[in-house]
Amino acid sequence: MNRIHTFGSAFLTGACLLSGNVLAQSESWEMPRTSWGDPVIQGYWTNSSLVPLQRPTALGTKEFYSLEEYRENLRRAFEGETDETQAGTAADVHYQFDDYLMNRTADSIAPNLRTSIISNPSNGRLPEATGEALEKLEAYSVWREEHQWDSANTRGLSERCLIWGQEGPPILPLGYNSTYQFMQTEDYVILQLEMIHDVRIIPLDGGNPAKNSLPQWLGNSRGHWEGDTLVVETTRFSGRTDANGMRGVSLDSNNHVIERFTRVSEDTIDYEFTINDPTVWKQSWSGVYPFKAIDGPMFEYACHEGNYGIENILSGKRREELDRMEAAGQ
Amino acid sequence: MKKLIMLALMIFGVQSYTASAHHAFAQEFSVDLPVDLNGIVTRVELINPHSWIHIAVTNAEGVEEGWMIEGGSPNSLFRQGITKDSIPIGAELDVFGYQARDRTLKAVGRDISFADGTPLFFRETRVPE
Repeated sequence: MNRIHTFGSAFLTGACLLSGNVLAQSESWEMPRTSWGDPVIQGYWTNSSLVPLQRPTALGTKEFYSLEEYRENLRRAFEGETDETQAGTAADVHYQFDDYLMNRTADSIAPNLRTSIISNPSNGRLPEATGEALEKLEAYSVWREEHQWDSANTRGLSERCLIWGQEGPPILPLGYNSTYQFMQTEDYVILQLEMIHDVRIIPLDGGNPAKNSLPQWLGNSRGHWEGDTLVVETTRFSGRTDANGMRGVSLDSNNHVIERFTRVSEDTIDYEFTINDPTVWKQSWSGVYPFKAIDGPMFEYACHEGNYGIENILSGKRREELDRMEAAGQ
Repeated sequence: MKKLIMLALMIFGVQSYTASAHHAFAQEFSVDLPVDLNGIVTRVELINPHSWIHIAVTNAEGVEEGWMIEGGSPNSLFRQGITKDSIPIGAELDVFGYQARDRTLKAVGRDISFADGTPLFFRETRVPE
């Protein structure tokens, strides 16, 4: 809790100066409550952010930017979005994000002075992976080199419109469509994610998520309130999704995630998470960032509807194979 | 193309989830097949994960071809009140892009504008205060 207090204090100080009205809110603001007394967290939120998961190594243990550094980073980031890639390069083979209003100048950003989302270890970096995880990573890399173009089933999960890596838990920001709708009753909290249209229905019975559940892609979650903080524990992952940044290192019942949602102002929820997976990481690791309130509605992301891309990718690969065979006289 | 994908690398110097696309476009389209098209809009699919705009293009032999131009997720457009009607059927578009690796009449629209030069969904970039 000390860590999030440290974060909250620094963040609010920055946010006050940034917006000029958060301080007034923090002095007069009272926690909104449901008719049954729980803090209200339902509504529309974004976690759109420029803060990376891992801290640049050059920053060492520096946890927060100054307000001046934060502003300069924002200015450079948004100016950078108007830079051009060079025609005729692989990076140029893409639509323009701002043609579709997809750069972050078009959406709200959750202000955050942190230098990384990761708060523990103190260097803001992912901990060391286990030998078992590294072996799986290497084996997957070898397999992928040989088989990744075989069929739709050998392509990545997001390319197949099945799931996106940031859905978690823990939930992590994405570059666009970082929009969420939280709903709550006395007995359940429902977290709906725009990308990629998944819904987590979390019973607030404080039960053990490791028991009485089939493995699920997003794991099995159980929640409870600790004072004004919603605590969600999740495990029983299906083995079909990967550890962060570790393609081929699947998450299963050894992965245990604790998330904490604390509403700290009219427009901010502090989100903190801790991951403990002894199969993948040599130590547990934690992160923290804010959700910012936004206006709804949230729009459907019906990914399969227009996913012509996967067919085009595979047909392009088959064409290249034919071209090579013809060139070889086969 | 704007360098959004590399944004966190440029500013914060580390890997990030940022604006990674749904898939690698360079796997779908070939940098060796640039196309410069002028065509008339025949159909607009503002769908996920990527929009597709269909245009009728008259090629050098005077034959009309139907091209499909791939773009971005439409959700941000919807948030700004833009719909598929914002690109009228019959509008004339200029497209620079790269053709599909399978050499069918599909391309990613790196630059798309109306024939008078107006960008498709223009909104001025602004730095938040």
